[in-house]
Amino acid sequence: MKIKLELFGASRDFSTKDFLELEVQDKASIKDLRNEIVHYLNKNCKGNQSFIKIVKSSAFCSENNEIITDNYKIIKDQKIGIIPPIGGG
Amino acid sequence: MLHTKIVDVKKEKILSSNAEKFIQNSKFGASIYFVGTVRNINDNKKVTGITYDAHDNMVIKSFQEIYNETEQKLNIKDKAVYIEHAKGYLKVGDLSIIIAVACKHRDQAYVLSRFIIEEIKKRSPIWKKEHYENEDSTWLKGNPIKKN
Repeated sequence: MKIKLELFGASRDFSTKDFLELEVQDKASIKDLRNEIVHYLNKNCKGNQSFIKIVKSSAFCSENNEIITDNYKIIKDQKIGIIPPIGGG
Repeated sequence: MLHTKIVDVKKEKILSSNAEKFIQNSKFGASIYFVGTVRNINDNKKVTGITYDAHDNMVIKSFQEIYNETEQKLNIKDKAVYIEHAKGYLKVGDLSIIIAVACKHRDQAYVLSRFIIEEIKKRSPIWKKEHYENEDSTWLKGNPIKKN
C-alpha cells in the first residue's frame, strides 16, 4: 500500500516536502506505519533521535480528519496525517 | 451562531473589527473578547516571531465540536461564537487568535470564553515554531492531542 504521509508541525523537518511517500504491507496497522517512518528517518535523517521521539509521541489522522488508533488497518492507498503534540493559541 | 476560520497571514490578517461586527449582530447583552498575541519572551529567550502551522480541516472540525459541546456541558443554548486562528509567520504583538463570545448573561460569557480556549489548547491541531533574536528557531514541545 502506498501512503502519502502529510507532515505537520515539528514533523515538517523530516523532509523538504510537505509529505513523505511510504510503502507498507496490505492491512498494516498504524503501529507498522510508525515503524516505517522510523525506518525512513534512520535511512534519510541519520536516525535523528529528536525526530524519532516526535514519531513516537504523535497521533495520526485519516483522510476523513479522524484521529486513528495504532490498531487501525491500512487496506488501500491513502493519505494519512501525522499529528505531533499540539499547542496553539 | 458560529463563525470559524483559519487565517492565512500571507493573504490577510485577523481583524478584531470583524469579530465586533459579528458579535453586535447577535444582539446578546454580554460579550467577551479573548485575543492572543505573540509575546516577546518565552523560557527566558527573546522571541522575534512565531510560525503557526495547522491541520486546517481538523482545526475547523474541532472548533465546531467544541461549540456543539457547550450546550450540553455548559448548558449555554443561546450564544454567538467567533473563532479565528492565524496560520503562518507572525511577529511579536501580532494577533494569533481571537475568540469572541456573546451570551444573555455575563457569567455565561466568561465561562464560555474560557472553555473554548482551554479546549482549543487540548484538541485543535495547531503548532508553533518560535523564532529568536539569535536567529535560531524551534518547534514548541506541545502536548499529545486528546481524542474527544
